[in-house]
Amino acid sequence: MRTAAGPRVTPALVGSAGVGSARVTGAPKAGPASSFPHIPGSWRSWLWLAVPLLFVAVFFAYPLAQIGAQSFQDKYGAGVGLANWQYELSSAAVQKATAATLKIAALSTLGALLLGTFIALALSFVPFRGAGLVTRLIETVVSFPSFLIPLAFSILYGRTGVVNSVLGQLAPGLPALNFVNDVPGVVLAEVAFYTPFVVRPLLAVFSQLPRELLDVAGSLGSGPLAIVRTVILPAGLPALAASAGLTFLLTMNEFGIILFTGAKNVMTLPMLIYTRSIVTFDMPSAAVIACIQVALSLGVYCLYRWTYKKLSGANHAAPR
Amino acid sequence: MLLHAKSARLATWTLLAAALLLLVAAPLLVTFMAAFAGSWNGVLPAAPTLRHVAGALAADNFSSLVVSLQTAVFASLLAVLLGTWAAVCSASAAASPGLARLADAVFHLPAAVPSVVVGLGLLTAFSKPPLLLNGTVAIVVVAQSMLVLAFAYSTVSAAARGQDPMVALAAASLGASQLRVLLTVRLPLLLPAIAAAAGLAVALCMGELGATVMVYPASWRTLPVTVFALVDRGALFDAAANTLVLLAVTVAVLAVIAKCRGNSAVR
Amino acid sequence: MLSTMKKSRRAAPAAGHPTPAAAVEPENAVELRDVSVSYGTTVALSGLSLAVARGETVALLGPSGSGKSTALKAIAGFERPSSGRVLLDGVDVTDASPARRGIGVVVQQYALFPHMRVDANVAYGLKARRMPKAEIAARVKAMLEMVGMEGHAHKLPRQLSGGQQQRVAIARALAIRPQVLLLDEPLSALDASLRAEMLLELQALRAELPDIAMVYVTHDQSEALTLADRIAVMRNARLEEIGTAEQLYSRPAGAFTAKFLGGASLLPAISTTVVPDGGAMGSVLAGAHRMKAVAPFAVNPGGRVLVAVRPHAWKLAAGSPAAAAGWAGDGAGDGYTVNSLPGRVESVQWRGAGHRLQVDLIGLSERVTVDLPAMSAVPAPGDLVVLTVEPQHAVLVPAGEL
Repeated sequence: MRTAAGPRVTPALVGSAGVGSARVTGAPKAGPASSFPHIPGSWRSWLWLAVPLLFVAVFFAYPLAQIGAQSFQDKYGAGVGLANWQYELSSAAVQKATAATLKIAALSTLGALLLGTFIALALSFVPFRGAGLVTRLIETVVSFPSFLIPLAFSILYGRTGVVNSVLGQLAPGLPALNFVNDVPGVVLAEVAFYTPFVVRPLLAVFSQLPRELLDVAGSLGSGPLAIVRTVILPAGLPALAASAGLTFLLTMNEFGIILFTGAKNVMTLPMLIYTRSIVTFDMPSAAVIACIQVALSLGVYCLYRWTYKKLSGANHAAPR
Repeated sequence: MLLHAKSARLATWTLLAAALLLLVAAPLLVTFMAAFAGSWNGVLPAAPTLRHVAGALAADNFSSLVVSLQTAVFASLLAVLLGTWAAVCSASAAASPGLARLADAVFHLPAAVPSVVVGLGLLTAFSKPPLLLNGTVAIVVVAQSMLVLAFAYSTVSAAARGQDPMVALAAASLGASQLRVLLTVRLPLLLPAIAAAAGLAVALCMGELGATVMVYPASWRTLPVTVFALVDRGALFDAAANTLVLLAVTVAVLAVIAKCRGNSAVR
Repeated sequence: MLSTMKKSRRAAPAAGHPTPAAAVEPENAVELRDVSVSYGTTVALSGLSLAVARGETVALLGPSGSGKSTALKAIAGFERPSSGRVLLDGVDVTDASPARRGIGVVVQQYALFPHMRVDANVAYGLKARRMPKAEIAARVKAMLEMVGMEGHAHKLPRQLSGGQQQRVAIARALAIRPQVLLLDEPLSALDASLRAEMLLELQALRAELPDIAMVYVTHDQSEALTLADRIAVMRNARLEEIGTAEQLYSRPAGAFTAKFLGGASLLPAISTTVVPDGGAMGSVLAGAHRMKAVAPFAVNPGGRVLVAVRPHAWKLAAGSPAAAAGWAGDGAGDGYTVNSLPGRVESVQWRGAGHRLQVDLIGLSERVTVDLPAMSAVPAPGDLVVLTVEPQHAVLVPAGEL
């Protein structure tokens, strides 16, 4: 059939062959071939999605479920009911770690937001030659390992670091500068690392803002600060809120920076999970703390997605 | 254009320069200088030496580097493959918002959970039957790829959803099967996004610490773990040298990916 | 085993047809039977039945949102009808994917493959059909020559102008030698002068492809009138009416068509005569004015109708200002002269090829559009005029809502 209807030179003949052969292979009746794989939303999409879903199920959902199960068992796998939970929830270490986690995340987020907004504003609206290069540099920094910053901090400001040895030479009696191994050092390092996460989305939004808008606002008599407050920041609000949520989530989950500062008195939930499971092998305790941490993280995550959707949606509906 | 007074502009630029210097330049610069410093007791490092860098490229440390590179490449390949797969499926399902939303939620979720917890979960789940992975290389690869899957997925799915659906439909109308449309039209058009996802994934995997430190077997120590061990011992200059090597190799891998991406764009 | 089963199943529909040469070909290349398409609660196309014969061009004409593009997508297989059947050459393809339909499609933004050069774009469908390489090269060359793009074979789409991209898209669609060619607003992305040029080229192309059935979606009536053998006027997801351009233009069956195709003015009127079958002259009373017009359908005395008159059909009565003054003088007038309507010129617009007047009819509270040929005497805004129209150039349409 196919060869009989094969391509010929005369347009008319081959023309009919074109449709003819299409019809032969068409079999437009019954069978899976007749479903609409090319039409979005068919059951086939679900089937295909099953492969990556399975990966996430096996290597993410199942492990989380196992942590959940472990939190109700003792070291040997025997069920202990709510005993682990009761013990951990009432333990001062866990309570302090939760408070420390939230405090460090909040401070770091605040710092990153302030610094990031300033950098984005300056790069976007007070441009200079090389601003593009700086932007690209900031984008690169995002993919660097987070421990780069605490490492540099340790070299500079650590107990035996550069600053302390210089200070020691200049004024021998002075007590050593020691903030790196404490909350301020951790917060500073996290601000340094997470500021680019605020800068990037803001730069994207600011680049969309028509320059004429600023000129018009200026010609109407607004000063620079008023323009920032009334024109620029409202436009950047959804992006700012999204970055705030994301930064809070990531700083809450941060582990590398805190581990590297080696601060004994900075014990956050991720650090506590690490210590309990890897250092002291107390898996039931680690599991309970992990559950608390996951609950917090997912809560913040949902809040972040919800706010972002609301804000960006509202902004689309009623552009200012 | 916002600030017209020269003094105000200068003040802003000074502040900006200070902030950038502190945030971006200082850590890099300090790491770089420390990596080549024999001692650093004054304002500037003294007694420049290649000892630390040479140490980073020798024996144990070098094997850490190779381990990191292998893990990052495999984990990224896995993550980009699965992320692209999921992104293409969820973009095809744009007309059924339920499916797209489910995919979005599921594939973004691993990034919302701390890496330490991801590691703990793998450790808890796969230290016992039915699947024993604890102590294997696979568990490190799986941990890292799970952590970067969300980034790979969101990068590719943004591009896939931006694609003009008519291009794929036009290909189908010309007689191309679903598979052919995917291989000859949709995926080639997604290549830039896939390359970007791969670059990001490799960079993140190379520096991954939280999950790796939970699951790595003694025989498969990645470079960040080695750097941490050095810092813990107080060998800061050696740590700096190893970090520098890590950064250099990461940048090299990114350059290779960017090159592939450039070639694919020309074709 | 499986593959043989597949083969036999695939061959089955063909068995119904004898070999192509001996086949008694069904008359219609494309047939839609009561096709509806809906997305959730939105109905994009409602109960469309349409047949396109071999060698025929049917234009789907309508404003945006009228369902014309949806109809085209249903034929191409880009949309799944929620009910109804789609037939190609008498074979039901409602459930077949686009790949299996063998239809050439040219879409609005051309949808060229941006990563492939022009020749690869044109060869795409042939490769998908696993045509031998040598034949592909020859076919691609012939197609590019046909659309005058042979000099651009190795360029990427982004290196081409809009008109050139358009030609490549047509070459790509025709390379698979389809029996049916669908064009979805193919000229809408081009600027005005290029559009006129491409319209001529499409007309020439049409003449070169006498066996292909073409479905041409457009919102531009001049494109439809130029290219189409028949025009299907679409509105609100429905087929309003279908007919030859001549039929629709001179004897529109509905008010919407009369207005959309040719911009007719519509005057509400009451029938005063019996026209049993249609086709004869009918007499009506528009306000106080007696009018005669073609009645294509049966009318009875007292029936409400609309008198459709196209801008070109109006004439200015000689010595009109005075006569108009007379009309205006005795108010509603006695309707003495048939098809003469007094009015006041509201605006005059010079359009190069003539003048376009907006005239407010006195005693009817209707504003009509009048196109005067070049070189004719032109009244000024505010002037009183008397408009006349030949009875055979006025047509009655049913008084439907617009």
